[in-house]
Amino acid sequence: MKKTLILSFSLKITYRVNGILYSLKQIPLVKKLLPGELYGMHWLKIVASVLSVIWEVASVFLGKFLYLLLMVFLPCLLYDGLPGQEVFLHILLFLTVIGGFANTTLFNPTKDKYYAIILMRMDAREYTLVNYGYSILKVVIGFLPCSLLFGLLGGVPVWLCLLLPFSVAGYKLSYVSYTLWDYERRGNVYNENKLDKFQWLGIALLLLAAYGLPAFGLVLPMGIPAVLALLSILLGAAGIPRIYRFGEYKEVCRTLLSDTMSQMDASSRSVRTVKQANEKKISADVSITSKKSGFEYLNELFVRRHRKILWKSAERISYVCAALTVGALLALYLKPQLRPMANKLVMTCLPYFAFILYAINRGTSFTQALFMNCDHSLLTYSFYKRPGFVLKLFRIRLREIMKINAVPALILGFGLALVLFVSGGTDQPVNYVVLVVSMVCMSLFFSVHYLTIYYLLQPYTVGTELKGGTYKLVSIATYMVCYFLMQLRMPTLVFGGMTIVFCVLYSVVACILVYKLAPKTFRLRMG
Amino acid sequence: MKFIIEHVSKSYEKKEVLRDISFTFEEGKIYGLLGRNGAGKTTLFNCINRDVKADGGEFFLETDAGRRGLMADDIGYVLSTPTVPEFLTGREFLKFFIDINEKTIGRVRPLDEYFGFMGIAPEDRDKLLKDYSHGMKNKMQMLVNIIARPNILLLDEPLTSLDVVVAEEMKGLLRSLKQNRITIFSTHILDLALDLCDEIILLNHGGLEVVEKSHLDGREFREKIIAALREQA
Repeated sequence: MKKTLILSFSLKITYRVNGILYSLKQIPLVKKLLPGELYGMHWLKIVASVLSVIWEVASVFLGKFLYLLLMVFLPCLLYDGLPGQEVFLHILLFLTVIGGFANTTLFNPTKDKYYAIILMRMDAREYTLVNYGYSILKVVIGFLPCSLLFGLLGGVPVWLCLLLPFSVAGYKLSYVSYTLWDYERRGNVYNENKLDKFQWLGIALLLLAAYGLPAFGLVLPMGIPAVLALLSILLGAAGIPRIYRFGEYKEVCRTLLSDTMSQMDASSRSVRTVKQANEKKISADVSITSKKSGFEYLNELFVRRHRKILWKSAERISYVCAALTVGALLALYLKPQLRPMANKLVMTCLPYFAFILYAINRGTSFTQALFMNCDHSLLTYSFYKRPGFVLKLFRIRLREIMKINAVPALILGFGLALVLFVSGGTDQPVNYVVLVVSMVCMSLFFSVHYLTIYYLLQPYTVGTELKGGTYKLVSIATYMVCYFLMQLRMPTLVFGGMTIVFCVLYSVVACILVYKLAPKTFRLRMG
Repeated sequence: MKFIIEHVSKSYEKKEVLRDISFTFEEGKIYGLLGRNGAGKTTLFNCINRDVKADGGEFFLETDAGRRGLMADDIGYVLSTPTVPEFLTGREFLKFFIDINEKTIGRVRPLDEYFGFMGIAPEDRDKLLKDYSHGMKNKMQMLVNIIARPNILLLDEPLTSLDVVVAEEMKGLLRSLKQNRITIFSTHILDLALDLCDEIILLNHGGLEVVEKSHLDGREFREKIIAALREQA
């Protein structure tokens, strides 16, 4: 038993440490500083292992502390006029029931289990029991100080605070023993990461009961959670022998892990699944043909056979934007008192739309489809990499993605202009123009941006994995900038004008860069 | 025509994969490139094809007109796992390829003639490439690479995963294509190399060397190759 615990622990720490080192090596500048034999460096491993152990211990308490603070204690303060201790126990009870079946640990297909049981062939029963016992122990020990702290602050009697950690463990144990019994009976393996719709519905209802009922002044009297706590402890304790005696952990674990295995195996299997998933996006419609020739022919066939992922979602977004515009116009028509506010909003919140356009632009899915289903194979042919051809295709593709992104942007632009008009108009008619033009410019920016970084940083490997560190950094930076813009409030005219200038300048610079550099950078990444 | 590699080297972090390689390949021959697992055969091909940037050194092509740098059009590269654009049909891929390479191909024949030449059945010609079998994808890849009539044809483990019949067809095809070009063929299968190739070269300690056949008989030659490869470990 002790050996199993130590073995599984050291396994977990090893891959955690290697994971940290691996991600360090993905960061552009840092990777140059790191030596090649990083994984073999003894002292580094010891430091990282010590950190891992500290983290393991800290997380026992930290997780429970945050959970009780954010999910139970702070929400309690929202319900004025209700007895604090009852609200505390009420919310905790329903959340604990959810945790009982949605967070069992035993039925969670994790990497640890995959490595230990499937790859290292450790004894499934012993591994599961030891780790499950450890996790239950963590629950009890982690909860104890936190439930005392928050329980007493919330006015719950001491004896109940002391019982709560055991009751949380009790709910989990009861559910696990029930599920194992169910397996013996029907052979169904429960996977807590793949809940069915009834379980999701159950979670929704329980959450509603936890936070919704108190809003209407309904809370369970303290007796009910207290009795249930005692009951769950008894039930949980009664379930322990079944869990201990259960003999088919191997089968359960194998079934549980078999679904997730393909995603965890970083070897050919996952490459194949990625490949297959992308091939499914290709339309099998035989009537799709093209009368063009050369690269226009290639592009037209590509776009038409990928209509579903390229145009369909852009269309859907457009419909939603149009519907929202109509809804806003209708609201302004029916409730004239909303107009001044709407007018003010349209005149100041254009920066917000930078983020919205970021969220709805199809740049990433377009370049991903381009790579997976087209460039991944064609880049292996030398003719495809001739500078003239690379640039020619870049132009065609830029035109294509601009078309796709422009449709929702135009609708949003005109929609905003209409809202502005209906809500009382503006002294400077140029605002209308700025709204529409800046929207189109922003969509143009995102089109150029994503295609440019794809051509300059080509982040995918031959194995269709996303590996480019710089590409990831640029993506994160893009997100951050757009997110930051959302916080900005600026007159539409000023922001719109700046946006137009920036987008046009950026597009020009990006295209020049692509023309200069892409013939060299647009390559397959080896490994 | 000669294909000349001069002082090419490539390292990954501290591991030197290619160590100052210099070699001259001659027209009309099929070269069998042998090397242990991880010896750097694919790296060498990737450097020649400019998929990976070599750390130093150069590649030249020497013709009657003189010596010039290697260009993308000079190379055809057939990979062990065939990669074809899955969203096109065989016919569309061929049409696209011929469209954009019209100038270099010269006399273009009807598409069906090419398919017939490769033994791709009429009913398969208008299927999406994603529905092609492994062998058929391989044939497509080979077809596109030979229509362009590259001066250098690189083949990375091309026959290993094909069935016997297709493999035999491909062998015949490669033999028929070897005139007027340099064919370099990497493989793990010694019999295949001996059967098909005019020269056997080893990638050994990051360098290229020819195994001289001279007066040796088949068995002795084979033993010499194995001994040389074993040395590498």
